[in-house]
Amino acid sequence: MSGWVLFGVVAILIVCGLAVTAIAAFGLFKFRFALNRMHAAAMADTLGIMLILCGLIVATGLHFASLKLALIIVLLWCAGPVSSHLLAGFEVATSSKFKENCESDTDPGKDGKEE
Amino acid sequence: MSRIRSNYEKSFRARFLRYIMGEDELPEKDYMPDFRKQIDIEKEEDEKATEHYLVPPLEDPMSDAKRYAEMSGLRWFRRLYSVMAVLLCIAISALLIYNVTFMPRFGADDSPMNNEVTERYLEKAGEETGTVNVVTGLILQYRGFDTFGETHVLFIATIAVMILLKMKKKDKPEEAVGEPVGGDVILRTIARVLVPLIFLFGFYVLVNGHLSPGGGFSGGAVIGAGLILHSAAFGFSATARFFDEKIYDIIKVGSLVLYSMLIIYYLFTGANDIDSIVPLGKLGNIISSGLILPINILVGAEVACTMYAFYSLFRKGGI
Repeated sequence: MSGWVLFGVVAILIVCGLAVTAIAAFGLFKFRFALNRMHAAAMADTLGIMLILCGLIVATGLHFASLKLALIIVLLWCAGPVSSHLLAGFEVATSSKFKENCESDTDPGKDGKEE
Repeated sequence: MSRIRSNYEKSFRARFLRYIMGEDELPEKDYMPDFRKQIDIEKEEDEKATEHYLVPPLEDPMSDAKRYAEMSGLRWFRRLYSVMAVLLCIAISALLIYNVTFMPRFGADDSPMNNEVTERYLEKAGEETGTVNVVTGLILQYRGFDTFGETHVLFIATIAVMILLKMKKKDKPEEAVGEPVGGDVILRTIARVLVPLIFLFGFYVLVNGHLSPGGGFSGGAVIGAGLILHSAAFGFSATARFFDEKIYDIIKVGSLVLYSMLIIYYLFTGANDIDSIVPLGKLGNIISSGLILPINILVGAEVACTMYAFYSLFRKGGI
């Protein structure tokens, strides 16, 4: 009985993680502007990987391997957002059509008022 | 009541705390908007410069009908191009999938790779090389000559990149061109935490190469990645405090020469059937398996130097 509960928890975690990653991949190809695409990809970087690795931790049980998996989550959560922050910074710095892409109908923002 | 020592500023604890907290002050402004403004100015200057050279467009000599005929040919070609590209992709995929069906099933015991060579390695590696991780024993002892050549390939590749990209000393900038000194605040904060851990993990992989998955090449790659992260976060001048060109030369050439000497000893004793003076030790201990542990460390130093040298040469033209 407890085996089935464990299997259910693992399955739910991994399927959720796969779903998040699939949505992120969909968004990556659906959006046009680079910052929007990075926003979509960041989900797979953080939430998707965390859910999948949590599922694997539950599957292995309390073991030295599960500690290593937890450390992988910590490392990826440190490294992934920072690298996407740097990429976004360079996109802002080098994109020639940055202002046009960042305009929105609801909130014109500072740039919109100036023009 | 405790009293602050007179030389507290120089003590290990104070220096360590300063390192954790971040020694230098935060920059006043984020550098990105400034960088952007600079690009805008450059673009305006470019536009001004091109205004003088603008020539009014000439009358088109081609008639409309002729141009339309040419355009239709182009359209037809594009359509054919996309159709042919898809067909070619499908044909190649089908060919590859068809070939896969001839391969032996995964893990089948009658597949041609499960022959007496694999059996012999798995049975005798522990006793002959003293390694728990058979792969390390394989690449550093049974195929030691091959790995020796690979390490030389790394060395020669670095030399080739140096010939192409290394600048003269007076032309060489202290930092990479177009980069703010010190880098990004968020990157620096994360790097302060991660760089020591990456170095530690790389050394663990190096030293445990004969006991667990890992070894010289992977551990060296991890250490090289740590060096690259350090120089990307704190600037090349910060990395040069503990890893400048002089130390790079000593480590790179020294490790290769030492490795060559060890491998010559290996080959000499192996070819003449002489017992090595280095004992194999107890299977599973950290200090065991003879010369494999020092060779792993030397290969790791070589690989780490190569990775950092590539990054540094491409970024600023020097080490």
